[in-house]
Formats: sequence, structure tokens, C-alpha cells
Amino acid sequence: MDISMENVSQIVQKVRQAHWRVQRQWIGLFLLGLVAVSMVAGIYLNITVRATLAGREIQLLQSKFLDDQRTNSDLETQLAGLTSVESMQKRADAMGFQPANPEDITYVVVPGYTPRVAVDMSQAEATSQVQPQKPVILPDYTESLFDWITRALASSVPAGGQP
Amino acid sequence: MRMLTYWRLLTITIIMALAGAAIPVQIVRIQNSPEVAGVTGQGAYIWRTFYPARGEIYDRRGSLLAGNKTVYEVGVDLNAIPSSKTQALSMMENIALAAQSSLGMDPAKVLEKMSGAAAGTQYILLQDFVPLDKADKFINAQADPKGPDLSAVQFTAHLMRSYPENELASTILGYVTEDNHGYMGVEEKYDNILAGIPVTVLVPADPRRAIEFPHIPPGQTLILTIDREIQASIENILDNALVSTGAISGTIIVMDPKTGEILGLSSTPRMNLNEYTRVTEIFPGETPFNRAISQAYEPGSVAKILTMSSALDNGTVTPGTVFLDTGTIIVGGVAIHDWDGGAWGYQDMTGCLAHSLNVCLAWVSTQMGSDSFYAYMQRFGLGHLTGIDLAGETAGRLKLPGDTDWYPVDLGTNAFGQGVAITPLQMVTAASALANNGQMVYPHVVYAQMRDGHQVNMSPQVVGTPIRAETAHTITAMLHNALESESSGALLPGYAIAGKTGTAQIPTPYGYDENDINASFIGWGPVDDPRFLVYVWLEKPQTNKAASVVAAPIFKQVIEKLVVLMGIPPDAVRQSTAIPPAQVQNTGQ
Repeated sequence: MDISMENVSQIVQKVRQAHWRVQRQWIGLFLLGLVAVSMVAGIYLNITVRATLAGREIQLLQSKFLDDQRTNSDLETQLAGLTSVESMQKRADAMGFQPANPEDITYVVVPGYTPRVAVDMSQAEATSQVQPQKPVILPDYTESLFDWITRALASSVPAGGQP
Repeated sequence: MRMLTYWRLLTITIIMALAGAAIPVQIVRIQNSPEVAGVTGQGAYIWRTFYPARGEIYDRRGSLLAGNKTVYEVGVDLNAIPSSKTQALSMMENIALAAQSSLGMDPAKVLEKMSGAAAGTQYILLQDFVPLDKADKFINAQADPKGPDLSAVQFTAHLMRSYPENELASTILGYVTEDNHGYMGVEEKYDNILAGIPVTVLVPADPRRAIEFPHIPPGQTLILTIDREIQASIENILDNALVSTGAISGTIIVMDPKTGEILGLSSTPRMNLNEYTRVTEIFPGETPFNRAISQAYEPGSVAKILTMSSALDNGTVTPGTVFLDTGTIIVGGVAIHDWDGGAWGYQDMTGCLAHSLNVCLAWVSTQMGSDSFYAYMQRFGLGHLTGIDLAGETAGRLKLPGDTDWYPVDLGTNAFGQGVAITPLQMVTAASALANNGQMVYPHVVYAQMRDGHQVNMSPQVVGTPIRAETAHTITAMLHNALESESSGALLPGYAIAGKTGTAQIPTPYGYDENDINASFIGWGPVDDPRFLVYVWLEKPQTNKAASVVAAPIFKQVIEKLVVLMGIPPDAVRQSTAIPPAQVQNTGQ
């Protein structure tokens, strides 16, 4: 068969994609990339906003915690004022009580009686002064986009191996 | 036609692509823009100073003695004042009038403060430490929608020291000024740990970095050895004693002789600690804040218990040693007489204590010799600080042979408490050896500290053993017998008590005062198992010049309260049950 160069050129021209189709493919690929990037950006924005809101809430809670501590301290002092020796003495007098004298007292042996000892405030202190715990925030809420990509890449690489 | 469509599509595509690409580019740019970071706080830090709440102080039963209350700092944010001159003036006038009605401030001065603020000033302080009720009035005025515009006023709540018991235990606690510094007593001694440590740190403004917000621990809480019921009782007894005896001041100390814990300590004058600005008015000149630790004086005959203990301990005398009291003894060339100028004849050592014979005790000290006598006095801690955990303690003075102002006669006079200056607390500390098997304990007022939610109790400490246990038992028995033989006004029916009066002349630059005395009494009980050691000192009582008449009854009043408050049964009850007093329940009240 004797095929001339002119015939070859005609055949290639017949199988090549139409010009507009090639352009559409490129545009499609570009838009796909754009959508992907936009999705990542959207997710990033979403995470950032949530992290910021959570952080802001923590700040507000910390502030409220300090306010509550202050209020507790104030209320405790007010309560101590209401139950001070002077106040209790007045109330006792008003209710008709009077101080006991040694001769007014009868002593009895009570098996198992535990004598009054000095206060142990360990329990009270532990509950009233709860130390603020360090907030647990997942890295997803604190890391940057680049951190996330780095972490994602690193987690996809098996230790000592190739991806 | 096809060509035209192609170009249109290409243009739209490019525009959309650029717009789409701009979104992530902008996101990244904004995230990293320094200008935006400054606004949003990302990467920005703010210097903030955190003042921890001052630690609280409780008594041994958990009653609050020193706490904190909320007060307000009231100020004006000048940035919130309108820029228009008319509006600004109107708001400032409103603020000045509100400050007058709520805070009692001069409106003209408030107005001048605001209008005369230097350029660049952002905040003007109107008043700090405003009580809650006053601040509430101002806050309500600001919140009233129909009221004047006070939006530029800022209220910052914070804590300040407050003493719910007012005067109670004031000489022990001390006070705290507005700058959060403690003065006198526990507040000064433990100022560092009570105040906590103010911290100035860089705080990230970025909410996402809230995790870095520092935790500032509050000041440590203290629990005192004081029992507020005992404290209130002795303060009440002391106040009444001053009225009934005409004494110019007084001191009462109650200590547990086995542990050194101060259960109550009172001296006059006292002040309401919430009104500490009156301190110079209540304690004029050199008036000590706490006489029990800061005022050394010649104790007189109560010191005889130390002399006799020393002589018994080194074997110079025994309880049965007989001394012929002729009414005079010459020591260092100076004649020493008994308190009544009489001669008491033959006396054993118990008799010498019971009749408080100066001549006898001067003879005892001279028989001991100066080396031995002063060695014992030093072992009892005279002339040295006790080290109590209260600010302002003084050491007193014990002259020693070799000192330029020591004379041989001092060996005789020191034996009955003249020529030696000690504080009431030093006397109590020394006497603890007599009540505690010869072991002298460290006096202290802090029972425990709270650390990270855990209570750390202080252990009792023995600071010395000046005499043997047998000597301590012997002198206790002698002092008990002496009180019984004299039918002392200090005795409480049902309880065996050991004790000694002290009627001391007061030295002046011109010799001893002929008109005034110091009356004191020291005692402990029950003698077989001492639970309390009590010291009473009245300065210059006017109704009578004998401690047995003015001080001993005060001692009795104190121990009457103690046996009830501490649940100590009468000796007969306790001994019949053969169990320690602490295990018998008091069913009275």
C-alpha cells in the first residue's frame, strides 16, 4: 500500500478531539480543582470559627469562674458575720439560753464517743476551691490549614515506609 | 458565531476562576495579615496583672476569722465620652452628680478630674474600695433607661480583707491595708503566703489560645490554734476585769501546755479590724498592739516558780528544806525584805511559795550560785524570743553577770521577778516546762496551712527541757498545795490546780513606784493531766494592790469557762472513769 503524507494528515485530523472539547476538559479540570480548594477553605473557615467560638466560651467561663470564686468568698464572709460570736450570743440570749457553768453539767461516759478535735478542712477546701482543669481542645480546633495538611500527610505515611 | 461564543465562555471562565481563586488567597492573607491580627487578637498578647485572693484565716473549729468581701473600683472610660463638646459636658456632669449621690464625692472635683485629664488618658479612677451597697446605687443609676447617661462609668469588682468577728482576736490577727499588706499579728507574719503572689503575664488575646490563660493560685488558707469561743470568753472576762479593778490594761493567755497551741490570747486595747485606719487613735504613741508578746515588764513573784524549779532540779533544796525567814536578807550588800516587811519564821519551800517570801527565794538563788541560777533562767528562755509566729515579739531582758548593768544584788532580786523584764508569753512558755513533764514547748498560733487543698498540720515542738520530769511534778504539787493551803481565790471546786500569784512593783527612772503594781497569776490544771495553762496580767489595778485579790479571781473565771468549753470533767468524775478527760462527753449547755 502506498500511503502518501497527505493521506496520513487527513486521517490524524479525523481522530483528533474537537478543539472546543479539549478546552471544556481543561475548564472542567480547573473548576474541579477550584471546587476542591473552596471546600477545603470552607471547612477551614468552619473549623476556625468553631475553634474561636469555643475559645471565647472558655474565656467567658474563666471569667465567670473568677466571678463565682469572688462571690463565694464574699458570701462566706457574710455568713461568718451572721454566725459571729456576737450575733450568736444575741440570738441565744433572745431565745432564753444562758452560758452553762461547771456545776450545771452532768458528765456521762459514752462508749465510742469521739472527742471534738480541731477542724480538718481538706474536704471543704477541695470542693470549694476546684482548680480549673486545663481545657481539652482537639488539635482540629487549634491547628492551621498547613498544620492539618502536614498532619494528614504524615498520618498517611506508614512508619518507615513509602506511601 | 462559534468564535464569539468561545471568547465569551473563556472570559466568563477566567473571571470566575479569578474570583474563585481569590477566596482561598484572601483567607490565607487575612489569617496572616498583621493588621487583622492586631484587631482580632490573633498573635497579639496583652499584659495583665492578676492579684490572687488573700488566703482566709479560720479558728481551730473552722469558724472564719478573716475573709474577703467584694468591693468595687469605680472609674470613667474617657474613650466612651462623646466627642461632641456639648454631649461630653452633659455626660460628665451626669457622672459628677451621680458620684456625689452614690459615693459622696465632691461633684466639682469629679468634673475637674475628667475635664482636666491629660491628653491620651483613657481611664480616670473615681474611687476604689467602694462597698457593695454604694456601688449598687451607682450601678442601678447607670442601668436606669430613664436616668441620665452614665455609660462611660466602669465598675470593676475585686476583693478586700474583711473580719466578720470585728474585734475578736484582733491582737492575734493583725490587719491588712488597702494595698494588701499585712501589719501586726498573723497577717504580717504570714503576709507572703496569705497574700499569694501577684503575677503579671502576657495573656494571648486570641480566643483560640484560651488554653494559655494562666491559673493564679489564691493565697494560702491558715487555720489557727485559737478557739473562738475561748477567745470570746477571755476577752469578755478581761474587759470586765479592767472595769472592776480599774487596771489600765490587761492580758490573758491560754495555752495547751502539751502542744504549745495558744487557745486564746487577749490584751487591751483591741480594735475593730475593719476600721484599721483608727489604729493610731486606738494605739497612741508606743502602745503595743499586743502586750502579750510586745510588752516586757517585771513579772514579780510569778517568776518564783522558775527559781524554785531550778533549785529543786539542781538539788539545792527539796520541798522539805526549812528556811528561817527573819524578814531580811543581804545580797550584794543590799537588804532585801519580804513583801509585807515582816518575818515569817521557819518555812519549808512550799511555805515560801505559799506566802511568796522574797527573802526565802533570794536565799535559794544565792544558794544556787549565779552560774547555776542564770544558766537555768536562760534554759527557761528568759531574755530570748519565744519565736511565736506573730509579728512584733520582743525579747525582754535578762541581765547576766558580766553585763555592765548587772550587780550582785540582782541574783537576789531576779529570784522573785525584780530586775528582769519578760513578756507574758515568755512566762507562759517557761511555765509550760513545769506543766509538761519538764519539756518546754514552742508557742504557736497557726494550727495548719492549706496547700493545694490538703491540710498540713503543724507538729508540736519541744524547744528545751530546762528541768527534769520529776522536778516538774514536784513543783506542780508544791504549787497546788500552796494554793490549797492559802484557800486561794484561784481555786475551782472539783479541779486540782497549780498556780502562783505575782504582785510586782513597777520600776521608774527614780526607783520603784510606790503607788502602782502589776498583778498577775499563772496556773495550770488539772494537775495530773494538764490541759490548760493560763496567765493573767493586770497593769496598775486600782481597787486592790494584791494579785491574790485582783488577779486570782480572774484566773478562776477563765478556768471556769475553760472546763466547760473544753469539756473537762471534775477530777473525781474523770478519775472514777479512769479515762482521759477528752473522752468524757459534756452533756451540759
